[in-house]
Amino acid sequence: MGELRKDPIVARWVIVDTDDPKVPGDFEKEEHSWKSDNCPFCYGNESLTPPEIEAIRDPRTKPNTPGWTIRVVPNKFPALQIEGDLNRRGVGIFDMSNGIGAHEVIIETPYHDKNLPDLLDSEVENVIRMYCRRAVDLTKDNRFKYILLFKNYGPSAGASLSHPHTQLIALPMVPKNVAEEIKGSMDYFDFRERCIFCDIMHQEIQDRERLVLESEHFLVFCPFVSRFSFETWIVPKRHNPYFCHVNNEEIIDLAKVLRQTLGRIKISLSDPAYNFIIHTSPLLGDSDREGGYHWHMEIMPKLVRTAGFEWGTGFYIVSTPPELAAKFLRETKF
Amino acid sequence: MPELRKDPIIGRWVIIATERSKRPDQFGIMDPGPAEGDCPFCEGHESQTPPEILAVRPSIKKPNAPGWEVRIVPSIKPILRIEGGLDRRGKGLFDVMNGIGAHEVIIETPSHIGNMADLTPEQISKVINCCRERTIDLEKDRRFKYVLVFKNYGWAAGAGRIKHARSQIIATPVTPRRVKEELGGCQRYFEYHERCVFCDLMRQEIEMKERMVLDIDGFIAVAPFASRYPFEVWILPKEHSPDFQTIRPQMILDLSRVLKLVLLKLKKCLNDPPYNFILHTAPFRRQKAGYWKTIDADYHWHLEITPRLTRVAGFEWGTGFYICPLTPENAAKFLRETQV
Repeated sequence: MGELRKDPIVARWVIVDTDDPKVPGDFEKEEHSWKSDNCPFCYGNESLTPPEIEAIRDPRTKPNTPGWTIRVVPNKFPALQIEGDLNRRGVGIFDMSNGIGAHEVIIETPYHDKNLPDLLDSEVENVIRMYCRRAVDLTKDNRFKYILLFKNYGPSAGASLSHPHTQLIALPMVPKNVAEEIKGSMDYFDFRERCIFCDIMHQEIQDRERLVLESEHFLVFCPFVSRFSFETWIVPKRHNPYFCHVNNEEIIDLAKVLRQTLGRIKISLSDPAYNFIIHTSPLLGDSDREGGYHWHMEIMPKLVRTAGFEWGTGFYIVSTPPELAAKFLRETKF
Repeated sequence: MPELRKDPIIGRWVIIATERSKRPDQFGIMDPGPAEGDCPFCEGHESQTPPEILAVRPSIKKPNAPGWEVRIVPSIKPILRIEGGLDRRGKGLFDVMNGIGAHEVIIETPSHIGNMADLTPEQISKVINCCRERTIDLEKDRRFKYVLVFKNYGWAAGAGRIKHARSQIIATPVTPRRVKEELGGCQRYFEYHERCVFCDLMRQEIEMKERMVLDIDGFIAVAPFASRYPFEVWILPKEHSPDFQTIRPQMILDLSRVLKLVLLKLKKCLNDPPYNFILHTAPFRRQKAGYWKTIDADYHWHLEITPRLTRVAGFEWGTGFYICPLTPENAAKFLRETQV
């Protein structure tokens, strides 16, 4: 018998297949046919990207030349554009505005084939520090209301370049999915005066069956209401609504935990495509209500194709129960 | 300058990347290659499916035998099960219930034809009529709140390896979230304007013309203002009705012609792209359901067709925003100019 499970935050129902659960080898393997020649993110090709915004580089080298370890550049094909005003307006019954925003690419390493699990802990720490620095910098632009950090890895997760990179988009409004998640957490907070993410962590620690790993500052688990098979969340134990308020000790721990988690997913599912998204409270939040939201990371392997049913209903069909996925990931050695 | 556009119904914003606009032949279309053996949906292979629920049989009336035109069978891998009670319960802070529902497959033709676009309008009208009959029948089961009729065509749209035209029907024990969002949007619009948002939208599109694809008989086909995907097309009945199953025989014939033309235009214009279509209709209204008070006046059933030309990535998952790399005005123009 399959189960329907309801997400306590956004009230989304998902279907979990408990009769005929899929295991890692059951998913179709995607061919990653990636070329490294002429990669705009490799050393020596710095002129193929727009001029860099920021970089960690050898002080003796000039911007937009080799010698960097992390490099942040504007997206060459931005979804949104940095210059101009919003200019909201109506067209008949429709509303619209200009597409103002920032769209940056954080190139995580000069090495074309080294993904986050293949880097050193200290290198991943610097990547996370750069995420924070860019988020803090863009927070100063008061046209922006939300900053989204996310990664597309592999073609079926929407990546168009294979060189390891993360993307950052600053938006002039709080997007719908974020607003819904925050509203859901706030409703819970208003009623119980507790943070729902803190409560979920307590329950996951008690239940144990969905835990992947636990470190000093983070809990990694496959959520009870996963939308995707092998969906994995990394949640900080300290209640904190803003990702960019992460402290140094947490960054050092997160680097290890993130490498471990992605490494285990890579081994367990033979290098699947995935997305990860950093969920954080919008900028300039209401300080009275900070108790209700809790930043975290969601990793979503792309193992199945989304079809008409999911698009039509917002229901998701999960073919590996999170309890089983967590067991595989717990037992995977990386 | 890219534009942000807000869907007037759900309140969903999309980014229209006017400068990155792609032409139809610039989208990569992947063909996973054929992997078909014995097609269980072809005439003569009736024993390879579960026993039929309904079939259009003009001459031979014997079930599960050849001689049918459209055949509806339970899904061999149902995502929801028909037997049992819902048994809602809590599990710590989570809510759980059993996966009860119906999952049926509508085999649209006895011949091994893959794309609905290649069926005759008469054949399509029989398929639509079967969908109507199944919806009416499933409404009688009081466990169900909603019936979703949809199609996955092609690998990237979630279809399996078997290339035989079919649609699916799923009855769910809860009204799905997306449906509720859409209904909520329509209700809010109605509260303020006392008009149906879809009727208003149709009037505006007919007047503005630039997003119109087709306007024949009782239906229009438009590329919606806030398209989420390139070449997204909506087919709307001009006559206001919240429920698909109220469709009259003449309207079924009209819809079949429009649907065939739109699918054929997409096939020709985009080199046989994968696509989904989803029938949007009102949930069942039992006596207790007092929430959607104005639904008869505020909601309007329609069909949404979404070619799968781009991939949904982290940004869309994270925000609920969609990046549409082609303006609907351009998409509509391409489709209007495609001769079929």
